[in-house]
Amino acid sequence: MLVFDSVSRQYKDGTIAVNNVSLQIPQGEFCVLLGPSGAGKSTLMNMINGVVAPTSGSVAFCGEIITKSNMRQFQRQVGMIHQQLHLIPRLSVLHNVLSGLLPERGFWRSFFKFFSKEDQIKAFTLLHEVGLEAKHLQRRASDLSGGQQQRVAIARAFVSDPKVVLADEPVASLDPTMSRSVLNSLKSAAKHRDASVVCTLHQLEYALEFADRIVALRAGRVFFDGSPKDLDLQTQHAIYSLTQIEEKERVGKRGNEVAV
Amino acid sequence: MNVTEKKWQDWPTHQVITPKRIFFILVAFILLSISAHNTEIDKAAVDTSKAFLSAVGMGDSQVLDGAVRFVSKAFPIQISERTEISRIEGLDRADLPWFAYVEIGELREYDALDEKWTIEQTEYLVEPLGYLKKVIIKMWETIEMGFWGTLISVMISLPLGVLATKNYAPHRLVYTGARFWLSFHRAMPELIIALFLVLMYGFGPVAGVLALAIHTSGVLGKFFADEIENAPNGPQLALKSAGTSSLKVLRYAVLPHVLPAWIAYVQYIFERNIRTATVLGIVGAGGIGMELKGRWDLFDYDHVSTILLVIFITVLILEFGSQKLRTKTL
Repeated sequence: MLVFDSVSRQYKDGTIAVNNVSLQIPQGEFCVLLGPSGAGKSTLMNMINGVVAPTSGSVAFCGEIITKSNMRQFQRQVGMIHQQLHLIPRLSVLHNVLSGLLPERGFWRSFFKFFSKEDQIKAFTLLHEVGLEAKHLQRRASDLSGGQQQRVAIARAFVSDPKVVLADEPVASLDPTMSRSVLNSLKSAAKHRDASVVCTLHQLEYALEFADRIVALRAGRVFFDGSPKDLDLQTQHAIYSLTQIEEKERVGKRGNEVAV
Repeated sequence: MNVTEKKWQDWPTHQVITPKRIFFILVAFILLSISAHNTEIDKAAVDTSKAFLSAVGMGDSQVLDGAVRFVSKAFPIQISERTEISRIEGLDRADLPWFAYVEIGELREYDALDEKWTIEQTEYLVEPLGYLKKVIIKMWETIEMGFWGTLISVMISLPLGVLATKNYAPHRLVYTGARFWLSFHRAMPELIIALFLVLMYGFGPVAGVLALAIHTSGVLGKFFADEIENAPNGPQLALKSAGTSSLKVLRYAVLPHVLPAWIAYVQYIFERNIRTATVLGIVGAGGIGMELKGRWDLFDYDHVSTILLVIFITVLILEFGSQKLRTKTL
């Protein structure tokens, strides 16, 4: 359903973020992009979203190539879960979820927060599915815990019945238990709707646990592409060391006064 | 060793009094003196000291005379209303207004031809709280002026404020135009706008309301725009990347964030508008200021002090009330 045909992207400063990548992501697949930062994960994702255009090659969605002119139409079929959540802090949980429907609703209706009963029930279903309760509905998003906020973000991404959901490091700021249950919610929500998920992660163990398919990237090239079962130990080690190096760099950067 | 020792003793010491500093202080003093003379600060100093001397019984003072002229007439404050009964049409003596009574008084008139005083007996209707009532009604009108001035100002500044943001203006020229328009509104003081509007709409509160609305829309619009520009970008981007139009993004991702600050601004402007509305009457733009100006020109200082007291109490109540409201909403 989603086809990358030898896609490359070079930024103005000369860095090649994505180098000749070809991928096919079928309907309903949970695909995890693995790799250190700078490997091109986000660039690849933003191409589906229309934020970044490939410098060569093409991205096709349901057989149609994404261009600038039909980008809006594709954006509506893509749900997005961001790393820093990007919920609207002072808005209620319910309306945060319903804000995913805004592109398809009229201006005045949305201005007065007038959403039909069906829309609201849809939101309820999703919120229930990801493990939230009626008492959370009217709370402000900022009053929820990090894991709960990420669940609201998942509900928002799915409320417009997207065909693809992009999740950019959805569990980056969560503890392991919370991460597992959030990824579980994401996966089951996608399964119920037969939507594909493209999810970037940097923990190999979550990828092995949840992914239908793992695409590991290094320096803009595909380094491994296959199901977790096909991932032999040697490659696992290679990926693991890649992500570990990055982890060390991150820690080093944060505490560099001590480290250096 | 000895040579080096000598060296640091010869290092320049820090001088407090230098010719340069003396020169600067002198120049500043001369400039300040000229400016003080222009603004009659010297006269004020002389007159004020004269007033103090006069208060302890030495010499005369114009300042003290003026103050005494006001204060001696200002107290006790006048809260009753006296009207000649012959001027009231269709007064039913059996059914007077509440607490009102009829008083017989003398009307003295000087006949310049006969060089004689004629004394006429007339009846007055006295309403003990009549003038206070009138002032309070006028004050209420002033508060209403402030309210409508604020409301219209919000209606002008909301669209202008949105257009005056870099991220939501449809074009850079629109942005510049809106910013310019807002600063134009801001740059004109209410009293001057009111002068023009009185010419156009005639005496009355309309001119005052519009003057307030025009001036404060410039202030509010700038505040609104700055708030929108400083709103966090993440939530806006999240909605935008899903294909949401920018007006809806404004409604959902920006408005909830900026609303508390906007409410605080509007509250402040409302409070300020009421304070300003009390003055606008002086140029004939309605409200309590018109009554104040009228009584002042008639030297009715006892009435003036009633008006001032009512204004003072109203402003106090408003300040207290808005403080309570602010702690509640924020």
